[in-house]
Amino acid sequence: MMLTENELKKIDDKIKLLRNTAEDLKDLAENIPAITRNTTRLLASVKMMELNISDVIDFDI
Amino acid sequence: MNDKQNYWNPVLETLPLEKLQKLQLNKFSRIFQWAYKNSKFHRSLYDEAGITPDDIRSLEDIKHVPKVEKSMMRDIQKKDPFPYGDALCVPLEEVTEYRQTSGTTGQPVYQPDTWQDWEWWAECWAYLLWAQGYRPTDRVFIPFGYNVFVAFWAGHYGAEKIGCEVVPGGVLDTKARILKIQELGATALMGTPTYILGMADTARNQMGIDPAELTINKITCAGEPGAGIPSTKKRIETAWNAKVYDHAGATEIGAWSYECSHQPGGMHVNEAFFLVEIEDIDTGEVITGPGKRGKMIITALDRMAQPCVRFDSKDIIEWAPESCSCGRTFRIIKGGVVGRADDITKVKGVLLAPSAIEEVVRGINGLGDEYEVIVEKAGDAEKITLKVELMPGSTDRRQSIESKLTDQLRLKTNLRYDLIFNDYGTLPRYEVKAKRFKDMRKK
Repeated sequence: MMLTENELKKIDDKIKLLRNTAEDLKDLAENIPAITRNTTRLLASVKMMELNISDVIDFDI
Repeated sequence: MNDKQNYWNPVLETLPLEKLQKLQLNKFSRIFQWAYKNSKFHRSLYDEAGITPDDIRSLEDIKHVPKVEKSMMRDIQKKDPFPYGDALCVPLEEVTEYRQTSGTTGQPVYQPDTWQDWEWWAECWAYLLWAQGYRPTDRVFIPFGYNVFVAFWAGHYGAEKIGCEVVPGGVLDTKARILKIQELGATALMGTPTYILGMADTARNQMGIDPAELTINKITCAGEPGAGIPSTKKRIETAWNAKVYDHAGATEIGAWSYECSHQPGGMHVNEAFFLVEIEDIDTGEVITGPGKRGKMIITALDRMAQPCVRFDSKDIIEWAPESCSCGRTFRIIKGGVVGRADDITKVKGVLLAPSAIEEVVRGINGLGDEYEVIVEKAGDAEKITLKVELMPGSTDRRQSIESKLTDQLRLKTNLRYDLIFNDYGTLPRYEVKAKRFKDMRKK
């Protein structure tokens, strides 16, 4: 199962949206540890998705 | 989730080599830049060598980046911030994980990781476990207390990440672990080859349980080279009636290599997450093709808190000429890690790799799994003593076993040994890393 470049790009767009949303959430809830710490964990998972997909797009592989 | 998918990530695992190398170059530049900017130790090392991130324009340029030795990591951790020192690239409050090396070769090295690094560790293990056929339906038993050592912590989290049910068997003794495997019908096991063999022995000889009749169908070995030694692998597979897979990783590096379910006679390097260079031990030149052994220099391309950039691992490896029938484009190192530069020692003027002795001992029917090698001075000469155990019921074959052992040792290692046959069960048993090679010349 090989993805097309377009399909990869769509996945990457969603990953970037996740990152932006999580970072906005972290800023909005900066005084609520229950949100900021969980967002830190969420962002670590987002980073793994970036390593798996976004790097291929961003480095034009 | 599609459990029938062969690859954890088909995008990276089937990338053609030239694209993988382009990815590696970009990722190397990124981690080099990160280390240069955030670690006092790395910046000073690179400034002294007169190299900056802007100098990296091709894979060829990377060999000019100074290597990092384990001894340097020990020195670093004497500096601030306590206890890691100035290779730390993040504020101390971002560190969530403390691990340390086993200290086999000296003072342990402390390893800080952020939560992102910890996700990365689990991600690396997810690649390897998926390749070995682990799926969410598996119940994985880990017969260790993980303590401060990273391997089975990461195995635990990696197995969870792919959806397995994980049973930590740490507080139990060996017999209780075997009973727990039987009770729960565990399907997979992780451990050091030494201990997995020892468990089988305990089950068979002390409990009357044939481990081959338990429900374990795959075993991932780590921590020692045994699963890459054909005779040891065969013994474990026969004892447990399970597939045995090798894996190599290190605290300072990460889980960088693994055997896949096709068992290609070596291990894939996860080349999307690691850059492996093989360096000629004599000339220092990079070996790019198959057929020649050298020392591994490795970079973890995405590890952030304490970067691993061109780490001199001392592992001896060589590229395999063949690609794997599994379809992964990650290259294979033939026979796995075949030794360590600091384990290979000269005895009577001959280079000796302890793994060669293990291959012989465990290839002889009638000998037990355990053995011990002692090298010592005898006047001006050197002598090697090899202690082995005869399996119960094999004592009447001692003469033929001894003759075969002598011949095979001579053939595989070019050395003569003083052989001592011990009663079965009298040599030390190990749970984690075995210490079977004793070089008394250094005392």
